[in-house]
Amino acid sequence: MNEFKHPWLVKIAFSIGALLFLFPLIWMALSSFKSPLEVTAYPPVLIFSPTLDNYSELFGRTDFLHNTWNSFVVAGGSTLLGLIIATPAAFAISWHRMMWPATVSLFARMAPGTLFLLPWFIMFSKMGLSGTFTALILSHAVITMPLALWILLPYCDGMPREVVESAQIDGCRGPGILMRIVLPMMYPGLIVATIMSFVFSWNYFLFALALSGFETKTAIVASFNFIGEGTTNWGALMAAATVIAMPPLVLTFIVQRWLVSGLSFGAVKG
Amino acid sequence: MPKEGQAQVALSVRWMVLPAVILTLAMVVFPLGYAIYLSFGGGSASGLGVSLYARLFSDPVFWSSLKITLGLFVAALALQLVLGTALALLLNRYDVVRGLVRTAILSPFMIPPVVVGMIAIVVLDPGLGAANWVLQSIGLPPLLWLASPEWSLLVVALIDTWQWTPFVALIVLGGLQSLPGRVYEAAEIDGAIGLKRFWYVTLPLLGPTLLTVAVLRSVDLLRFFDIIYITTQGGPGNATTTLNIYAYKLGFEFMDVGYASSLMIALAIIVFGSVLFFTVLRKKVTW
Repeated sequence: MNEFKHPWLVKIAFSIGALLFLFPLIWMALSSFKSPLEVTAYPPVLIFSPTLDNYSELFGRTDFLHNTWNSFVVAGGSTLLGLIIATPAAFAISWHRMMWPATVSLFARMAPGTLFLLPWFIMFSKMGLSGTFTALILSHAVITMPLALWILLPYCDGMPREVVESAQIDGCRGPGILMRIVLPMMYPGLIVATIMSFVFSWNYFLFALALSGFETKTAIVASFNFIGEGTTNWGALMAAATVIAMPPLVLTFIVQRWLVSGLSFGAVKG
Repeated sequence: MPKEGQAQVALSVRWMVLPAVILTLAMVVFPLGYAIYLSFGGGSASGLGVSLYARLFSDPVFWSSLKITLGLFVAALALQLVLGTALALLLNRYDVVRGLVRTAILSPFMIPPVVVGMIAIVVLDPGLGAANWVLQSIGLPPLLWLASPEWSLLVVALIDTWQWTPFVALIVLGGLQSLPGRVYEAAEIDGAIGLKRFWYVTLPLLGPTLLTVAVLRSVDLLRFFDIIYITTQGGPGNATTTLNIYAYKLGFEFMDVGYASSLMIALAIIVFGSVLFFTVLRKKVTW
């Protein structure tokens, strides 16, 4: 075949394609470094002297730093809670080959979020938990727990049963087996599950939109409010977008090799 | 079977699912029951009954939202499956999935849809956006994009297609790479090459993979919310009001909790219907 004679040509063609495809993201980052005049200039300016004004406005004049911190609390908290619940569950489901809990947890993945949101809103109000981190972390755990469970299942399935059984003969009980035998054997799975849970929780909009309060507002919800304020400051908006996009981008590049199996959520088997 | 002298009691760790079961009961099963109760008029002055479901049938906005939801679903799913498969074939032919190309493939679907919506606001602005500038500089007329009553839904579908086609391509690529090589040898002997080979050999073999992707994407597409809520809020008019957007507005802006619940139950049935449909179809085409 002809094209294989010029591998560098193929490489250049694909790189140009990749750059064009990434244009929206490049544009976002570029716009965040433009001055207010340049960011709304038409025709758009491509060459400009970069400024950090948008970032200093974003973090200086609004609560965005606080909002970003809230996002870390909610995503971190729900990741931790999700993993603490999902890890023993994945081990038990795999050990006893009982699939129903895993199947039921898929329901949460497929049902429209709004379906749970209205009852949650009423539940949390009655319990006096409206707008608290507890409410946000619990609601986001509905995303992270099934996700972590399905990522961990294949790792548990791949564990040799003899190792666990011999630990039991040596007098190890359930929790000891989990902590001393199972966890060390599936730590690569735990890393993937942690990172994917964090990213999914970080990216999730709907629950925080309805359930967060003034003090617990996440970065995503806060930036949505910027848009609602009418006179949209594009520079600050793109700076906010860049800040929000950064953690998922950085984290996913750490686990890119395992990414697809995590995303397809156990649905791609064989 | 444990022999004598080995573990007397088989290890039982069933209780370890308990926390997961409790979370699911408290946060998924109970709220679902509560939503069903609300959808039948529970807690309202008019008492229990099917009146809220009857209202669905006479509500023109419900029918238009249903049409918009299904239209978005069909358009975006078709675009993503066709483009994703094409991209996967290209990536399979040329071994380039690393460096810049890998970045381009992974970045779009790992960032929040809200960020994608924020970029769309800036890039697709009818007056000052970069998209119209590109169109004008190659001699095409500027477009209204998301502000257009006729085309906004297609624009939303295209935005989602930008975000998710690489994901579809990655999974299809995985499917392509697991295809048995001897089938291709046999096909070559039979004279099936090029397009013919794709149509009669590759595509049927990819069936299960494509249907798996269809399940994953349809679950997200039928519940479409984030990008629309960020950019158009369902407008112009009701041009991009999907069922999920409509239910959210009913529940949280108009506080019509019961009716919003019956709408969401209807949507949940549609989502599970589509999952069931693709799953059954997948069993049929598995080789």
